[in-house]
Amino acid sequence: MSFPLFAVQRLFGIRQVLTIVLLSGFLGITLFANAQEIVTFGKGNAPNVKVSASGIANQTGIRTLMSSGYLPNKNSAARLLSQATLGTTYDEIENVATLGVEKWVDQQLATPNSFNITTYLQNLHQSIVDSLKRTEPSKELTNVFLSDWHFDISWFQGSMTATDILRWRVALGLSEIFVTSRISAFDGNPYALASYYDVLLENSFTNYRTLIEKITYHPSMAVYLTFMNNHATDFNNGKQTFPDENYARELMQLFSIGLFQLNLDGTEKKDGNGKSIPTYNNNDIANLAKVFTGLSWGDSRYIGERSKDYWSYTKKLKFYAIDSSDVYIRWWVTNPNNWRIVNAHEVGAKTFLGSTIPARSVSQGELDIKDALDIIFNHPNVGPFISRRLVQRLVTSNPSPAYIQRVATIFNNNGSGVRGDLKAVIKAILTDPEARDCCNNGNTQFAGGLKEPFLRYMNLVKGLNLKSSTNVYRNSMRRAYEKTGQIPMYSPSVFNFFSPDYKPDGALKGMGKYGPEFQTLNSQTLTGYMNALNSWLINDDPIEYYGYFGNETYKPEQEPRFNFTADYPLTRNDRLTQLLDKYNLILTHGRVSEKNLAIIKKALLNIPLSLSNGVPDNDDALRRVRIAVYLIMSSPDYLINK
Amino acid sequence: MNRRDFLKQSGCAAMGTTTLLSTLTSLGAVNGAMSHKNLSSKPSVSEDYKALVCVLLAGGIDSYNVLIPRGTTVGGDNGYNEYASTRSDLAITNASLLALNNPQCTSFRGLPCNYGAFGIHPAMTGMRDLFNAGKLAFMANIGTLVEPIMNATEFENGLKKIPEGIYSHSDQIMQWQTSVPQSRNALGVGGRIADLLNAGNVNNQISMNISLGGKNIFQTGENISEYSISNNVNPNNVGLDILPSWWSDSGLINDIRNSAIDSLVGQTYANLLQETYAGTARSAMASFEIFKEALKRVPSIATQFPNTSLGNDLAAIAKVISVRANLGAKRQIFFVTYGGWDMHDGLANGLNQRLPVVSDALKAFYDATVELGIAENVTAFTISDFARTVTSNGLGSDHAWGGNSMVIGGSVKGGKIYGAFPKMDLNASPQNISFRGNFIPAVSTDELYAEMALWYGVSPTDLCYVLPNLGNFYSYTPGNYPIGFMNFNGTTISTEDKPQSCLVY
Repeated sequence: MSFPLFAVQRLFGIRQVLTIVLLSGFLGITLFANAQEIVTFGKGNAPNVKVSASGIANQTGIRTLMSSGYLPNKNSAARLLSQATLGTTYDEIENVATLGVEKWVDQQLATPNSFNITTYLQNLHQSIVDSLKRTEPSKELTNVFLSDWHFDISWFQGSMTATDILRWRVALGLSEIFVTSRISAFDGNPYALASYYDVLLENSFTNYRTLIEKITYHPSMAVYLTFMNNHATDFNNGKQTFPDENYARELMQLFSIGLFQLNLDGTEKKDGNGKSIPTYNNNDIANLAKVFTGLSWGDSRYIGERSKDYWSYTKKLKFYAIDSSDVYIRWWVTNPNNWRIVNAHEVGAKTFLGSTIPARSVSQGELDIKDALDIIFNHPNVGPFISRRLVQRLVTSNPSPAYIQRVATIFNNNGSGVRGDLKAVIKAILTDPEARDCCNNGNTQFAGGLKEPFLRYMNLVKGLNLKSSTNVYRNSMRRAYEKTGQIPMYSPSVFNFFSPDYKPDGALKGMGKYGPEFQTLNSQTLTGYMNALNSWLINDDPIEYYGYFGNETYKPEQEPRFNFTADYPLTRNDRLTQLLDKYNLILTHGRVSEKNLAIIKKALLNIPLSLSNGVPDNDDALRRVRIAVYLIMSSPDYLINK
Repeated sequence: MNRRDFLKQSGCAAMGTTTLLSTLTSLGAVNGAMSHKNLSSKPSVSEDYKALVCVLLAGGIDSYNVLIPRGTTVGGDNGYNEYASTRSDLAITNASLLALNNPQCTSFRGLPCNYGAFGIHPAMTGMRDLFNAGKLAFMANIGTLVEPIMNATEFENGLKKIPEGIYSHSDQIMQWQTSVPQSRNALGVGGRIADLLNAGNVNNQISMNISLGGKNIFQTGENISEYSISNNVNPNNVGLDILPSWWSDSGLINDIRNSAIDSLVGQTYANLLQETYAGTARSAMASFEIFKEALKRVPSIATQFPNTSLGNDLAAIAKVISVRANLGAKRQIFFVTYGGWDMHDGLANGLNQRLPVVSDALKAFYDATVELGIAENVTAFTISDFARTVTSNGLGSDHAWGGNSMVIGGSVKGGKIYGAFPKMDLNASPQNISFRGNFIPAVSTDELYAEMALWYGVSPTDLCYVLPNLGNFYSYTPGNYPIGFMNFNGTTISTEDKPQSCLVY
């Protein structure tokens, strides 16, 4: 049962109290006197009222809300969850409403990483091997090949079962900032995708400095941005080659500081002529490129060696000061003097971003990487740059400079003198008044952001409480990708599915406002999404079950479908309001306007429903529920999360 | 109300704002009536139709391994040896190059072409054939410029405007589409052309600009944005899926659903992100039925397209062009993107895989326009973020600047290399600005676009709306064209000036 009926009654059985409190204009806050008895202050729980608890425009109110025992009502709890999770269930809304925002965030930040995708994938792989072994004894992990979709199945399993749901939301955001993608040399290797994503999960709540180091040493990044086996400037057989500049450039442009010098509030600094000031030029790039030389596969024997197997992608890169590849490649040479031994890592001082990494012996060359990451990490742009990106991923497309400044300040110093503390940054983002205030300080015109297509899918499966009886899900998520162009680790390029600086045309044009996710929206993906909804919801096909090998027995419990039976009683004409209120809460934290609720309700009333003894016919009821959810999820009120 | 505001509003007013999906049936009928004029896909001699097809090779193609000097005369045209020496392990063998017949590369803006003999990458037989048949022209060393920069000294002395973020993918791919390299807020070239000329199309419900590559800057104008289609050009693939037929009353419920969606997206939202979404939905939905009806009339096209993403995209464009009359279109701008060119690594194999895709697809597309009888009416061209360093990083090449582009069509004065191919000996190259081999472009994107815009029907006085920097490179006088690669015989230069004023950035 996805939505206990008693909960519905509890939600809507309190209008008398509400009306009185509404008049007082007090904050929308639900106070739980005890577990059973609810006293509600404010408007948040009232159906068709779009103001929620966080209608507080002043910080005192927020502080009260956070620290003195007042709790968010269900709408504002759902709103937090719309920013901080991949999608929410009714139970989680109740949980936040019980705990309060700050406590919930703290609890989540304290929850250890609960799901390792690589481990799950490896176990899945092993179970496939074991099954095959029964008829083909020669089968081993090394000769049973997987596809990229085994990663998607493993990812989905984690997303459906992990308890650290904030981490899973943050990691998705990180995967859209520190981008690698299967559209690359590792398109057929799910381990490359899983291992990289695990780094993001593991480091969602560590330190930014740790995160960029882990990423720099990850083989998927090294292959994706082509610094795997990157070599010092070399002159061989009359042919001169130079270090690859790819990672040097994108590390600075996309992962840390960006193209222009920033103020703490994220606005660009200007020179005397009012022009933006570049953070680096091509010489900086060429110098930093020299730093990232000498790195190869963790299981390699020499720089320049190719990957051994799937698992080469799961091992930290190894540093080679010296290129002795010739010893292995021309192993038949007997006189060691005839082997060509040169530096793999570029020696010499390297100046970039106004700092100089000192010249050191080539054997000490790996320290260059540490120095370079420190220089980047300590650049004043990182705080505002990364803060803006994370705020855009989680909360709003157009954060105010003051909001960015508050978060960047925490990035620069978490209060205990630590720079780059991601826990503190995430908490600052989610508990900021601008995140919690429903109305963006009265500036509702530009509030919120378009929900990225993939999140809509996760909202659907979470909100409608998709459940497998065995808690095993086998979902390749193909339709989400084919219809909307987005699933994790499938970005078309290092620039992500959409740019943080994308300015949509239409109503926002010329306003200087951003709408990153609008870059994914066009006449094709618009219907792609609605037609995918049609498949998932109307045609009752929410997940794409793939067989693991020929003749495998179909396991229907791994391909669950939505269960709406609890909603059937709510499809009666006299209870449709409750049906809509329920999904308005879960999917849109009460943001569907009265006008749009009326439109949807009118549509539902027009869908025939036969009753016997007052009980709706199952088929009719199911249609009404499905159309209700379809229309809510097609409404601009849902699609713009604000 | 100025003209732009009027256009903006009439876009909605023409449809009414409350009933989109629900009125589509009647619109379809109107469109059906239109098509009864029995316009065949073959044009009459004087058919006033023109199309531009922008092929974005996203990622920065190594175009110095597309167009390659071939000469080996020491002390004379020694282009290949200079090329091979600089490109090091990236050089393609001379013997494998596909020779271009007498490419007549001369000079541009006082910059010499440097070499006489040229060939192209061995995987591009289709392009070689089109070049030698006079239907394909190369632009040598073309790129983003605000104003001419003649040499490295001018580049370094700080007196010339340099494009924002040269070598940065995101900037350069944008600037190739906007041709306004000093701004990150400019509209697209195709969008601005459509701003001027969209009203000339009989049916304004379908955008002049049709994209196979989704949202893009190139096709975004002040009033115009792209209409995105999939390359599966099939009437059943347009618009919203219908509800399952096994549902009782599925037709009724379908109507109810459509009408509710109309109402949800048909109202005006105070929140401008919501309004942006609703607006996109409105214009898309207004187009579906017309598009669907038109697609039912696509003739069978005998030309075989390769089954590649680019081949399928270009085949889709050919099909859409074949029903231009049903769509009420006299002018169309198409956009297609084919990525994967950021070959820091694996360059040789990468080019061997991808260049045949480009060559085969563009050749088939040209052949299809011949089959449809409109080769002279369609001009396709390639753009990319930038060219790549001519030196090697051991496995590939890195980001550079000016590179080589192709323009293809029946109205192209092909068989010739325009622009000025840079000296491959980096020490002797005044255009080179880096030890890695990065060239200042000789030809600006403005000049490429201006020539095509004049052919497409933009009047000379309106060019400053389409290309705000063009005045730094070119001013129109009759018979004097920016580069000279288009054949203007039979094309009347438009004198119809639109009220848009020049844009300034």
